[in-house]
Amino acid sequence: MDSATANHRYEMVNVRPGYVIVEHEVFSKQMRSYFCAQAQPPVEEYREGPKIWKFSGMAQSFQFDLRDRTSGAVTKYDELLGLVPYSGCPTDSDIYRLGDIAQAEKIWIYVALTYGPVEATRQPDWLEKIRILNRYFGERLTTPNKKILILPDYFNLYKEFSHGQILADFGLTAMEETQAP
Amino acid sequence: MTTKELAERLELKGLTRMFEKPVSGVYISDMVSDVIANAKAGNVLVTLQVHNNVIAAANLVDVSAIVITRGRTLPSEAISLAERAEIPVFTTGMDSWQVASRLYEAGIR
Repeated sequence: MDSATANHRYEMVNVRPGYVIVEHEVFSKQMRSYFCAQAQPPVEEYREGPKIWKFSGMAQSFQFDLRDRTSGAVTKYDELLGLVPYSGCPTDSDIYRLGDIAQAEKIWIYVALTYGPVEATRQPDWLEKIRILNRYFGERLTTPNKKILILPDYFNLYKEFSHGQILADFGLTAMEETQAP
Repeated sequence: MTTKELAERLELKGLTRMFEKPVSGVYISDMVSDVIANAKAGNVLVTLQVHNNVIAAANLVDVSAIVITRGRTLPSEAISLAERAEIPVFTTGMDSWQVASRLYEAGIR
């Protein structure tokens, strides 16, 4: 621990590198994603009942936990797919409009996307995790008056997300492949 | 050292307006996820990456400045985002290793 972080309550621990895998169902075009920690991520298509899932793309990413230094409690974020900055959303979307208003007050909005069902983002345990995530990033800021506000995905961004919006490494390095659905 | 002094010392070209801030340390990475996990507030971020997301990630961890290497430049949208975040962005013809060496010589560890 260095002096800059000595008074921080939370620390990022158990950082696990891996990949966000995006796949689509061949007939319905439904898309979904999951985290893969394997060194060689699977890219083969596979059958799940009547559905056929095909690899669409992947991005280097990571999973992590946050540890409360005061209590030792560890909060896991396995369901967190990534953070979407409001600035990466369409300018005619509600999240962009809200973000733009907040940004004028030096509040930067990011939306936490999850792998799981959107309904789960309204559950108390996820909201508590969001609070902890906000504390983690907030207590690290050194720019005066600046605030980071991470919100649960009440904007249905998961359904609409495109690779480039998420703060993962989609299309940003030469180390992943991308195929159109 | 401040971002302004850093720019003068390394002869960096500004892509945004100057926002003078204290510099504490350096982080070199071309991966957004790595920046989020490991960069610290006040660091100078040295990168080849010019996607908008690198600005959003740098803002999230509150870096003091971004140095884009190998003479690359930012799209206008990313420049606008960096200015709103008050993060000065510079470009240089040096590669990341050369920038790291110059930063070390300048006393930034």
